Amino acid sequence: MEHASQRLSVLAKQISTVQDGVSGLSLQACSAGDSAAYQRRGVALDDVVIVSALRTPLTKARRGGLRDTDAIDLLATVYRATLDATGVEPAAIGDIVVGSVLGPSSQRANEARIAMFFAGIPDTVPVRTVNRQCSSGLQAIADVAAAIKAGYYTVGLAAGVETMSAHPMSWEGGVNPGVERFPQAQGCLMPMGVTSENVAARFGIDRRSQDAFAAASHRKAAAAQAAGKFKAEIVPVQTKLKDPKTGEERAVVIDADDGIRADATAESLAGLKTVFKRDGTTTAGNSSQVTDGAAAVLLMTRREALRRRLPILGVFRSFAAVGVDPSIMGVGPAVAIPAAVKAAGLAIDDIDVFEINEAFASQASYCVRELGIDGARVNPNGGAIALGHPLGATGTRCTATLLHEMKRRGRTARFGVVSMCIGSGMGAAAVFEAGDAADCPSPRVMPGSDLNLSRDFRG
Amino acid sequence: MPRFRTPFNGYSVKFSPFVESRLAVATAQNFGIIGNGRLHVLESTPGGLVEVAAFDTADGLYDVAWSEENESLLVAACGDGSLKLYDLAAPAGANPLRSLQEHRKECSSVSWNLRRRDLFVSSSWDDTLKVWSLARPSSLSTFTGHTYCVYHAAWSPHHGDVFLSASGDTSVRLWDLRQPMPTLLLPAHAFEVLSADWCKYNDCIIATGSIDKTIKVWDVRSPQRELATLLGHGYAVRRVQFSPHAESLLASASYDMSVRLWDWRAGGGAPMRGWDHHSEFAVGLDMSPLQEGVIASSGWDGQTCVWHINNAP
Repeated sequence: MEHASQRLSVLAKQISTVQDGVSGLSLQACSAGDSAAYQRRGVALDDVVIVSALRTPLTKARRGGLRDTDAIDLLATVYRATLDATGVEPAAIGDIVVGSVLGPSSQRANEARIAMFFAGIPDTVPVRTVNRQCSSGLQAIADVAAAIKAGYYTVGLAAGVETMSAHPMSWEGGVNPGVERFPQAQGCLMPMGVTSENVAARFGIDRRSQDAFAAASHRKAAAAQAAGKFKAEIVPVQTKLKDPKTGEERAVVIDADDGIRADATAESLAGLKTVFKRDGTTTAGNSSQVTDGAAAVLLMTRREALRRRLPILGVFRSFAAVGVDPSIMGVGPAVAIPAAVKAAGLAIDDIDVFEINEAFASQASYCVRELGIDGARVNPNGGAIALGHPLGATGTRCTATLLHEMKRRGRTARFGVVSMCIGSGMGAAAVFEAGDAADCPSPRVMPGSDLNLSRDFRG
Repeated sequence: MPRFRTPFNGYSVKFSPFVESRLAVATAQNFGIIGNGRLHVLESTPGGLVEVAAFDTADGLYDVAWSEENESLLVAACGDGSLKLYDLAAPAGANPLRSLQEHRKECSSVSWNLRRRDLFVSSSWDDTLKVWSLARPSSLSTFTGHTYCVYHAAWSPHHGDVFLSASGDTSVRLWDLRQPMPTLLLPAHAFEVLSADWCKYNDCIIATGSIDKTIKVWDVRSPQRELATLLGHGYAVRRVQFSPHAESLLASASYDMSVRLWDWRAGGGAPMRGWDHHSEFAVGLDMSPLQEGVIASSGWDGQTCVWHINNAP
C-alpha cells in the first residue's frame, strides 16, 4: 500500500491547481523543488522555520583576530546582525538560548544577558544558556524549536558562543576516586585526542586517510572562501586587537575565517607528530582547531514568517541526541544521524548535504564510512579541521553553513543534516529541509501577457 | 468516430509505424495507482476498433512504443519499473519476449529510435533514463541528473544519438548518447514538466507541456526564452506531440479532459481546435504517421478514440 500512496502523491502533485499568472512564483507545496523522490511532508503553518542563520568569522584561539574579543561582543554582534537582517523588532523574541561550553557557567549566562542590551534588545526578553558540550549550539536550536512547538512563544533566538582564547579546556578540582570502579566513567575523563586514537585503532582508520581527510577539509574551505561562499553567513566583527608586546590596542574589523590553510596536503600533514599516543595517528593537523567565534539562528513558526513576509531559509524537521561509549565518543554521529533521519521520516539517501563536525579526522571519516554516505555530500565547504571548532558555537555555525549551502543549491538540495560527536560519549543530529528562500525561480515574461504588471494596472 | 472501451484506465496510445490501421493502447487498473495493467493492440476496421491482441501485466502500464524496425514488435513501460517486450507474431505463450528490469521505480515512458532502429529509451520515476538495444539483455547506458521523476523521453527524429527528457524537477534536458551529461538543461517551466516532443521538420524546435497548464515551444539554440506560449488548457498538460505532417501543428492532451490542436506559429497562442469527448483525464495521444490528420486519444475514462481532425470525434 505504501507503493500506492507514493504513486498517489506523485499524481496529486500533477493535479494540484496552479493559479493563472503565477508561473514565475512557486509555492513550496506545489513546486517540484525537492530532491527526494516523493513529497513526504506537507507544509504546515506550525512548522518551525529558520529565517536567519549568521555567524562571526572563526579565528584561531590566542593568535587569531578575535583573541581579544569577549563573549559579550561576539554575542552582541550576531544578535544585532540577526535583527538587522530580518527586521524583527527585538521585543518579539520570546527567548534567547545560548550554547556555551567552556566559559564559566554563571558568568557566561550573565554575559549572554549583557550582550542582549549591547544589541538593543529590551529587558523584557529572557535569556539562558545550554551546555551539551560540543552540541550546545545545536541543542540551543532544538530547545528553541521545541519551545515554539510547545507554544511557549512564536519567535526564538538560538545562539552559540565560545571564547577558547580566554577559556581553554581544563578540569578543576580533584577526581572522585569512585571513578575507578566504572570503566565508562574513566572514559569521560580521557582527553578527547585519546578517544580519537581509540576510534582510529578500533575501526582501522589509518593515518594516511586521516591526513587526506584533513587536507580535503582545508582544500574545500579554501575553495569556498575564495569563491566568496561564506560572505552570506559571516557577520564582520568590529573589535580590538592588543599588541602582545606593547599592550597597545587598535580597532579592527574581523571579517574572514583565519584557520584555513589552502596549501595543506596529505603529504605536508603527514610530517606532523602525533600528540596523544606514540605510534598513534591523531595530530594537530588532522584534529579540529581551537577557535573563537559565535553564531545565531532565528526561529519562528511558518505562520509568523509568512505574516512577516520573511523568506524561509530552512525548516527544522527533527533532532536526536544519543549516548555512546565515552572512550570512543567520536562515533556519536554514526548513531545520532540515523536516529534523527528516521525521526524525520526519511532515509540517509534522502539527505543531500551533511555538516558533520570534524572534531577529528578519525571519527568524522569513520562516521561517513559507517553510514555509507557519499563523501561528496559531506562538509562541501570544509569543516572544523579547516575552519575551527568553537565548541559552544559549532552547532549554530554548522547550521548557518548548511542552510546557506542549501540555499545556493536551490532545488537540488532538499534535506540537510547537522551532526557532531560530544565529549563524554554522546552524539547529536538535526535534519533541516530547504525553505522556499531556496526556491526562487526567476520570473519569466510570457509573450502577450501582462503578468509582470501590477494588479492596479491590469484593472 | 470509432471508439474502443478498455476495462482499465488508458495511459497511452500509439499508431503502428508500419500498419496504418493498427494501434496499441497501454492501460492500468485503478488509475495506475494500484493493480494490474493491460496492453491492447487494436485494428481500425469499417465496423470500428477491434482488438487483435491483449497482454496482461501484474502492474499498470504507463506507455507503449512500437518498434521502428519490426512491425510486430512493441515495448511497454510498466509501473513495476520494467520494460516488457511483446512480439505479435510470437506464439501466445512466448510473450512477453523479455522483461527488462532495471529501473528502481515506475517506468513512465518509452520511445523508439527512428534512426538507429535497434535502440529505445525509457524514463522512470527513479529520476533516470536508460537506453536499451534489442541486441542486449541489459541497458546500454543510464542517464542521471534529474532530481525528481522523469515523466517523458523522446528521441530526436533527426539525430540518432539525441533524445530529450521532461521531468517533475521542472527541467527539460537534451542528451547525446555519447555524453553522460545533458547537452542542454532547459528550465522550461516553473512547475513540473510532464511531456515534451520534437518538431519533425526543424531539428531545433521542441515543445513542452507542464502542470502550469501551458505548452511552450522552444528553439534549443536560444533557450533563454520560449518562441511561443500556448494558453487554453484548464489543468496540467499531460502530452504534447508535433504533427508528423505539418511543421507548425501540434496536439495536446490534458488533465482538463480535452484534446487540443494548435498552430504555434499562428500567434495569439489559442488552440485551433478542441475536443472534449473524454469524461476523465485525457492522458494518451498520438497522430498517425501514415494517415495525415488522423489522431488518437485515450483517457482515464477507459475510452480510446480515433478520428480525423476535420471531424468531431
